[in-house]
Amino acid sequence: MNPVIPAPVPVPLPAPPWLLEFLLVFTFILHLLAMNFLLGGAIILSVSSYLGRRDSRHHELTRRVSRAMPPVTAFTITLGVAPLLFLQLVYGQLFYTSSDLMAWYWLAVVFLVMLGYYGIYWYQMQHDELGPRAAWVILVTAILFILVAFFFTQNMMTMLQPQDFYRRFVNGHTGTIFGSVTPLTIARLAHFVVGAVALAGLGIALLARRWGGESSELADWARRYGVTWFMGGTLVQFLVGLWFLFGLPVDIRQALVSEKPAVGLLFLGIFLALLALLTAPKSLLASSVAILGTLSVMAIWRHFVRLAYLRPYFDPHSLPVKGQWVVFSIFVVLLLAGIAIVGWMLHVFYRPPATRRAST
Amino acid sequence: MNYPVWEPSILGGGLVIGIIAILHVFVSHFAVGGGLFLPLTERKAYRENNPALLEYVKSHSKFFVLVVLVFGAVSGVGIWWSIGLVNPEATATLIHVFVWGWAIEWVFFIVEIAAAFVYYYGWGRLDPKTHLRVGWIYFGAAWASLLVINGILTFMLTPGRWLETQTFASAYFNPSMLPSLVVRTAVCIALAGVYALITSAAVVDVALRSEVIAYAAKWLLLGTLIIPFAGIWYISTLPSMAREISMGGAPAVTIFAGLSIFFSALVMAFTYFGPHRRPRQFNLIFAFLLAILALSTTGVTEWVREAVRKPYIIYDYMYANSFRLADLGHIREQGVLKSARWVRQHEVDPHAPERAGEEVFRVQCASCHTVYGYNSIRFAVKGWSWAMIDYQLVHLDSLKGFMPAFVGTDAERQALGAWLASLNPVPASIRIEPEASNAKSQSSDATGEGASHP
Repeated sequence: MNPVIPAPVPVPLPAPPWLLEFLLVFTFILHLLAMNFLLGGAIILSVSSYLGRRDSRHHELTRRVSRAMPPVTAFTITLGVAPLLFLQLVYGQLFYTSSDLMAWYWLAVVFLVMLGYYGIYWYQMQHDELGPRAAWVILVTAILFILVAFFFTQNMMTMLQPQDFYRRFVNGHTGTIFGSVTPLTIARLAHFVVGAVALAGLGIALLARRWGGESSELADWARRYGVTWFMGGTLVQFLVGLWFLFGLPVDIRQALVSEKPAVGLLFLGIFLALLALLTAPKSLLASSVAILGTLSVMAIWRHFVRLAYLRPYFDPHSLPVKGQWVVFSIFVVLLLAGIAIVGWMLHVFYRPPATRRAST
Repeated sequence: MNYPVWEPSILGGGLVIGIIAILHVFVSHFAVGGGLFLPLTERKAYRENNPALLEYVKSHSKFFVLVVLVFGAVSGVGIWWSIGLVNPEATATLIHVFVWGWAIEWVFFIVEIAAAFVYYYGWGRLDPKTHLRVGWIYFGAAWASLLVINGILTFMLTPGRWLETQTFASAYFNPSMLPSLVVRTAVCIALAGVYALITSAAVVDVALRSEVIAYAAKWLLLGTLIIPFAGIWYISTLPSMAREISMGGAPAVTIFAGLSIFFSALVMAFTYFGPHRRPRQFNLIFAFLLAILALSTTGVTEWVREAVRKPYIIYDYMYANSFRLADLGHIREQGVLKSARWVRQHEVDPHAPERAGEEVFRVQCASCHTVYGYNSIRFAVKGWSWAMIDYQLVHLDSLKGFMPAFVGTDAERQALGAWLASLNPVPASIRIEPEASNAKSQSSDATGEGASHP
């Protein structure tokens, strides 16, 4: 039986699919950077908050890292808007269908994120007042975000399987059809969560570099602590990655293996991850650049997996296109201006106090 | 029809969107108005060399960040989530038309958020001039995001020349875009006052409290003074049917439109005689009551704005049930069950038409009606015989101008009628069977003669 897929809207795409897909993947990478620090950070803070009940270094680390969490949460959400926008534009026929089937769960994401966000603020603003309860607050927050990741993973997996849409629809009640949770879904979720913990570890190590002036002992310890999470997480990530790769259906894996760019990207990602692992103890900067490369390559590879899944059923390049180039140009100009303005604000915020008051 | 229909139980899709949207509007307009309030009040404190006022602005900025950056931002995402679930076809259409508009709005969001954090964490860290400059950047970005989304919202009610040209410019610069922008900007100013009244009423220092309360009341009064004039301008740009619906065409909408005016007048009167004239007697309870009143005003006004768009979701282009006007001929010819992709049966079983009828309801009516809850169809047809129901379905758009015409074959319409009639079973002694009733209704005139009322 042919899969039931909604018809595309009769309004042409406002740009060629390659550009939209580029923006989808590019903005997704930006989202990943913030999301990794948020999700992984919340998990590491849960552990450190628990250990911080007896160890003052952990307590001080959680206090300092928690300050970064509210802006990171805000940027995770906002940076996530763009990839979801482009996803809906190009793959809306699949995305809206899978979302509708699990509508209650999908809508719950909004409330889980809001609760988690307030959890982050509660933890940060009441860090010392909460005492031993702080560990519980951040743990619950981390669980809320893992749940969000789980619902996202399930929806992103479901939208790749249009051949199952109608069967699921007929056998369930629209809105409550979550679908079965397969080992592949768990592997994919674990791939995100473990990766997030590793990246957040590196993020903490980078943050700790700024503490040197105030407390070099704490900064050294926190850098080593962050790097330990990063290295441990990355090692586990290799195993989880293999689990995910070999959990993919055989035809999908074969389709990917038969494509040279996909194979090349996979090996490049692994190589960069190894490089990041080896350089982490010596140079955080080199390690960060390498892992940013891995992250980017893996995001592109994820897109290849999506294309491989959908190839028999859906080709975005078959959709009609009528470029809206004037408004696209305005977007690009405003984006550059926006980056410049944000850059200026960060510059005046982070410059040393002596120069902070002098100019403008 | 093109997508599986999600029926959120007794709430209905419209109410799910409505609850999230109204709360979001109440906060997001504060995000803009409050963004103007902060740098202006900060500047006032510097100019008057008033450190107490500056302390107030600092504490207000904390409240602002907690309300706006968390609830405002996430509920905005929530609207997007909910419209995608309830009306995927319309959402997809809007995204195809406006994706670069949304992308531009996204840039403004990023600047807005970065500015909000730098402003909030920058107290005492940045020099006053730079701090103020960051405040203005926040406001500029926040208002610019309103500028973008306002055009998209008004497009749905007044798509204007886009129907012929299909260009971004004609979609965005639609007839009600500018007046709506003025209305919303005035609402932003008013809501900046509403929220500032809450934080100012919590100030401990009596002299400062009175000063800030009177100052915040001016914001609220200024906003509420502009709204009626801009509102009349906005209403003048609406399609005539939209105006008729709010002025007697649909009683519920008319009542809500009246409530909107009444609540607005109450807000203005309470503000004038309360915090404006007697700031010393104004307290936190009064501030919260005023906020609830302002929320009610927002709620009923947004509800009316949505309701007057009926029967469309994109005016003259797509009905509220996601049927495109351009597709109606094809659906009539083929039948709605055969055209719909997400139904469990594509034919009407003459021996048990109710099942197909329920499918027709889901595809064609469930975007506005629930069965047992909000805007309940069971309640709407209570006391109606099958013949009465069928007569209504045949003349749906002419009897109720805010509803789309029924689209489908005769068999599908009758199946829907049979299912609707089954929702309120009548005693067997006075029940009129569909077949008999149908025959009778065909021979009777348009007065609905032959309809039975239990």
